[in-house]
Amino acid sequence: MSSHSPATPLGSLQPLGVGILGAGPVTQAIHLPSLARLRNILEVRHIMDVDAAVAESVAARVGAKHSTSMDALLGDPDVDIVAICSPHQFHADQVIAACRARKKAVLCEKPFAMSGEEAARISAVSAETGVPIIVGAMHTFDPGWLAAEANWGDLPETAHTIRSSIVLPPNARFEDFATEIITRPASGTPDYRDVEVVKNALRGGIMGLAIHDLPLVRRFTPDFEDLEVLQARHVRPFGYVISLRAGERIIELRAAMNKTWKPEWTFEAISDDSALRVDFTPSYVQAGSAVATITRGTTSTTYGPYEHNGYEGEWRELAQLALGTKQPPAAESLINDLTFAIAIADATVDVAAAEYANSHAGAHS
Amino acid sequence: MSAQYTVTATPQAEENGAVELAVASLPVSFGPASEASATAGDAAQISAIDGAAGWTTEAIKAIDGGASGIVVVNPVPESTAALLDAAEASGVAIILDQRWASNPGLAGAEDPVRSVAGRAAMLDSVATAAAGSDPERLLTEHLAAVVRVTGQLDALQVLRRGTHGYTVSGRLANGAPVSLQGVLSNSRPAGVDFRLYTDDGGVSIAVPEPLAAWPAEVRATGPQGEILLPTLYESAHRATWRRLKEHLDAGTLPSDLTAFARLTESIAHLY
Ligand SMILES: NC(=O)c1ccc[n+]([C@@H]2O[C@H](COP(=O)([O-])OP(=O)(O)OC[C@H]3O[C@@H](n4cnc5c(N)ncnc54)[C@H](O)[C@@H]3O)[C@@H](O)[C@H]2O)c1
Repeated sequence: MSSHSPATPLGSLQPLGVGILGAGPVTQAIHLPSLARLRNILEVRHIMDVDAAVAESVAARVGAKHSTSMDALLGDPDVDIVAICSPHQFHADQVIAACRARKKAVLCEKPFAMSGEEAARISAVSAETGVPIIVGAMHTFDPGWLAAEANWGDLPETAHTIRSSIVLPPNARFEDFATEIITRPASGTPDYRDVEVVKNALRGGIMGLAIHDLPLVRRFTPDFEDLEVLQARHVRPFGYVISLRAGERIIELRAAMNKTWKPEWTFEAISDDSALRVDFTPSYVQAGSAVATITRGTTSTTYGPYEHNGYEGEWRELAQLALGTKQPPAAESLINDLTFAIAIADATVDVAAAEYANSHAGAHS
Repeated sequence: MSAQYTVTATPQAEENGAVELAVASLPVSFGPASEASATAGDAAQISAIDGAAGWTTEAIKAIDGGASGIVVVNPVPESTAALLDAAEASGVAIILDQRWASNPGLAGAEDPVRSVAGRAAMLDSVATAAAGSDPERLLTEHLAAVVRVTGQLDALQVLRRGTHGYTVSGRLANGAPVSLQGVLSNSRPAGVDFRLYTDDGGVSIAVPEPLAAWPAEVRATGPQGEILLPTLYESAHRATWRRLKEHLDAGTLPSDLTAFARLTESIAHLY
């Protein structure tokens, strides 16, 4: 878009066309319901899944085309924005292909990639093509979080303690509140006596769950490269207790995913004289924004709840990026978020393996 | 009607334990020792002393001085063996007024915690105190409140401690991870937050400061929903004095010192 053309207001044009790679529970329960709220600006035009039946059935829900080939979707001129909702291991290559196809904007579900090498390849392609990319870390687009950001003053410089705590019911509970799911991955019963199973569970915990809020943590962690894991323990059936030191700061990560009905998803950043607490709404459902509370001394100000959540926020952002009415986030920042997560995952897995060996040696003595 | 007991408090005990207010809120049971009796050399029946280092020696002195009951405000860990002997020999009731552990709401939390402990998946607890507080003292107060409801914790270990707080790891009897975090800040409400998670719910406890009669909030969550236990609008200070009166009337000796000896031992192993 040329610099002197006036910004185009959202909704004044034809809706932008959306294509989605991967039509599993996240597409069905998160993205289609979010997009249904934004029909005046975004229209789902193409759904691709390697499973033809899934692609066809999910596409039929929104009257979109369907295919089983990524190239068909990327070659579709009706698709302006591509959302990548396939399993983790495909994200990097699909982001790169969408950029190379010169789409107007790309949403990559978290995680952005699974290795630093993949992240570097994405970064190069993003620089070369100029296609804006965002990562589906939805809390970074939550209006409650954004209101906190606008009002937290120097807390990122002064915070000494950061906490992220996630307690979640099974995903299916919320998927079923959001839509009617047609496919669901089979779940197994992991054997946690096997250290490799524990290591995989922890890596999955960081790259799948903690990763949602690690970009938030990093906002309060200027020295994110100077990282030490103080403890990393697995919580059964799925979760973690992780304590980190990053520079001078202490980061405490907690998660428990089990059969409870009661979700609790909080983020806190605390300094001597001020504190931020954000209470997020659960994933999948359209339950409005987070509520943020900023306390200075003993006086608290509350922001939110606002009507929409971070999922809708990320789609609004994508529309603005595709129209050129908003600057994309720096690719470097997305890559730093990812390398931070990978560094935590790597260090955590090592520490957990050592702790596991210790506790089991103890059990035999 | 049972007798009213006369009370004296050291200035430190008064400052940290709000003794006058607690006594004034139990006016039938306790009253200040009159100046006249003090000058006449009649010792008050109850002595309130501060729990700074050396408190066990001060308490033995109070026993020797003829006290029939002693309240110790915020005791720091130290060996209680000699004091326990002296208290038992003389039949003197010694009660500890602990910042959070003495909150009356914790008694009701013991049952729900015990009934789910075998299925615990994680215990996550955060204690907050004003910036500049002594983190070691905070940890003692924090651990006292936690073990009050969980019983002894295994494998306690300090992972870090500094001017902003601490992180301590441990294990519950069933092996589930325990994490105790201390945070020093003026902008997070002082108190203890305790969250025990099971596979389908858990127990959460919020313990407030004893400065006012704020109730602890104890919630038990399970498949049927969540129950908020009846709230008790009584400060830890007042609950302590009420407990003392019950022991004095019944002629029983409280078990505070025995429990505190275990706490002291846990803390000693930490450093
Ligand atoms: N933002 C959130 O709240 C949130 C929540 C859960 C999961 N996620 C992320 O969303 C992504 C998808 O999650 P899900 O639960 O739907 O996963 P899923 O694995 O259950 O479903 C993914 C779908 O992708 C299809 N697929 C497999 N390989 C493909 C390929 N190469 N190209 C296109 N499609 C392919 C599968 O057939 C399936 O239908 C994951 O990366 C996950 O991390 C995000």
